[in-house]
Amino acid sequence: MDLLQFARGPALTWAFAIFVFGMSWRLLGILLLKRRPDYSEPRHATSWPGAIKLIITRSWPRREFRPRTVFGLSVGYIFHFGLVIVVFGFAPHIMFFRSLTGLDWPNLPNAVIYISGAITIAALIIVLGRRLTNPVMRLLSNFDDYFSWFVTITPVVTGMLAVAHLGARYETLLAVHILSIALLLVWFPFGKLMHSALIFISRGTTGALFERKGASI
Amino acid sequence: MSGLENIGVKIINPLTPQTDGVSGNADAILHELVALLETYIDSGENSAIDLHSLPLTPTDYELLRATLAEGEVHANINAVGNTEVRETLYPGVWWLTYYNVEGDIVADLLEVIDVPEILKAPAEDIRDGLVRLRDLLTQME
Amino acid sequence: MNEPDTLGASLTRTGISRRSFLKFCTAMASLMALPPSAAYAMADALQRTQRQSVIWLSFQECTGCVESLTRSFDPTLEQMIFEMISLDYQHTLQAASGTAAESAREQAMKASYGKYLLIVDGSIPTKDGGVYSTVAGISNYDMLVETAKGAAAIVSVGTCSSYGGIPHANPNPTGAVAVTDIIKDKPVMNVPGCPPIPSVIAGVLAYFVTYGKLPELDHLNRPKVFFADTIHDRCYRRPFYDQGKFAKTFDDEGARNGWCLYELGCKGPTTYNACATIKWNGGVSFPIESGHGCLGCSEPNFWDKGSFYQPLPTPLADNAPVIAAATLGGIAVGTVAAVVSRKHQADIGTKEGK
Ligand code: SF4
Ligand code: SF4
Repeated sequence: MDLLQFARGPALTWAFAIFVFGMSWRLLGILLLKRRPDYSEPRHATSWPGAIKLIITRSWPRREFRPRTVFGLSVGYIFHFGLVIVVFGFAPHIMFFRSLTGLDWPNLPNAVIYISGAITIAALIIVLGRRLTNPVMRLLSNFDDYFSWFVTITPVVTGMLAVAHLGARYETLLAVHILSIALLLVWFPFGKLMHSALIFISRGTTGALFERKGASI
Repeated sequence: MSGLENIGVKIINPLTPQTDGVSGNADAILHELVALLETYIDSGENSAIDLHSLPLTPTDYELLRATLAEGEVHANINAVGNTEVRETLYPGVWWLTYYNVEGDIVADLLEVIDVPEILKAPAEDIRDGLVRLRDLLTQME
Repeated sequence: MNEPDTLGASLTRTGISRRSFLKFCTAMASLMALPPSAAYAMADALQRTQRQSVIWLSFQECTGCVESLTRSFDPTLEQMIFEMISLDYQHTLQAASGTAAESAREQAMKASYGKYLLIVDGSIPTKDGGVYSTVAGISNYDMLVETAKGAAAIVSVGTCSSYGGIPHANPNPTGAVAVTDIIKDKPVMNVPGCPPIPSVIAGVLAYFVTYGKLPELDHLNRPKVFFADTIHDRCYRRPFYDQGKFAKTFDDEGARNGWCLYELGCKGPTTYNACATIKWNGGVSFPIESGHGCLGCSEPNFWDKGSFYQPLPTPLADNAPVIAAATLGGIAVGTVAAVVSRKHQADIGTKEGK
């Protein structure tokens, strides 16, 4: 078995298993928690509009903090969008998802992917730089932050190298790329990357609570 | 019957070269020929350039053909397929194209020499031929 | 039985002109990217020297490799390699059979011990004492070990002798292995391919016969001149790959436009071979030019790397059952965790209540 066979075979199988295991464990463990009894009178009959409203409003900087947060926020948005374009727009990735789910969709031209990939890497590096230079952020960061950053940027970098056939033979680059994704999948449910699922749950819960209590959102 | 002929097929050659289609290699070859000719005149040393060893665009080829053009000698050698030997406009520079039986090019060379080796009758073949001719005559007697 | 058997004598015997031979040398030199002057040197030296003795052993194989070299259109330049060598043993091609055939091998071994070239096609079964393939009652394993001892060098022709090939494919019932798994103390050159391109076989043999040594090899013992690039590196459909234009079926618009076959399972990007440049059937075309992806036939374990039609970046295993099981496991653990937490929450609640 060569490296690529290992990556496409057992490595991916284990990564998938750990990923779905961890995801369902953590989501269920949180969703099944007891809600606090709310003794106050509900101000609105339904609370889900508040949930949606908060998910949207909190995705936008508040006016008061805007000058201070706009830079970090935009860089954050840039690499999140970049990731989405690269992950779901690149033809070989669509082949990957199709083999898993049977779903198919048209791919974006490779030129768009390359540019998005490059921008994503740049944005991710800026984000790390900020984390390292800003004393407050530095104090707040722990291993989880740095490792989550690492497992996010490696697939992008190894993927770009693989398309460019740069640095090693293609089969090695592809294998390393797939292994880096396996690592991402394994880490995903247990580290801060879980925010991608939890962010909507937590914001939604808060929004629903606000709506019920009649707090302004 | 098979319906194969109804399937539309577009043949695309995606290796269309850049605007003028010249890679610069044809030019390099011409300059090398000058150097090789100088060496030949000085020391009598023959030499050759393998055209397959360089990436040449179709336009490069045209350029070489047009520049070197046709000289006085043009020979075909019939040995396991054709071999075309053409003198160019510049005496001493020969263009040799080797074809296999199916007519594909197996080697394409520019040689700098008075007479290409492959045109000359090899001594052993001359000897063998002599034996055969003698045999024939004895048989006829 | 061999008087000084020079190539010149053999040419005269078979009525091949020296010009034809010089042409062969020129074609081989060009193919091997040797300087053009090498052709004359080759032709000159070979005429005089004794023909290289070659013993060709066929083990667990389909004879496709021999066919590739001998059954190409007739007469071809590739076949002229047989004029350059003295093929002293090849049980498919030789006239002798039975005891006479085996004694031909022993004689050839004795006559040029330490100097003959050993060519092997087919893998070697090792399970159950190697009984799964024998020649004249001798197991392939024993014959290889014995014949390799007196060889100057060994050339493994084809994927089977180079890497184990199809006999080696899972579950490998005969315990098939490659030559290099058995022979460690001799120079071995692998010329993989199922089968290898005839001019590649002829080219590397011509090189050995001329220079008396193997050409430069890579980390898998392959001659670098032919195996340095992947099919993908030299593929004429590469511009479409770079643009992300892929045929999705064998008869869609993309296929008709000659787009890249990556999505249809082309293994070109991970396959090192010369098909895209030298091509097949005397340079007519190669599989991708005919609209089918590369199978990766010249790579180790090519038979066990998933379907030929499965795109390269997709998982090899069927992961659905594993994913389902892992989800169920996660749900179970998550539920238990939630129950424990709820109990904890309740405890805190009652404490707060008090
Ligand atoms: S057809 Fe195969 S070898 Fe050619 S460019 Fe596409 S993937 Fe590469
Ligand atoms: S194109 Fe690929 S599968 Fe086909 S002969 Fe060449 S290496 Fe083998």
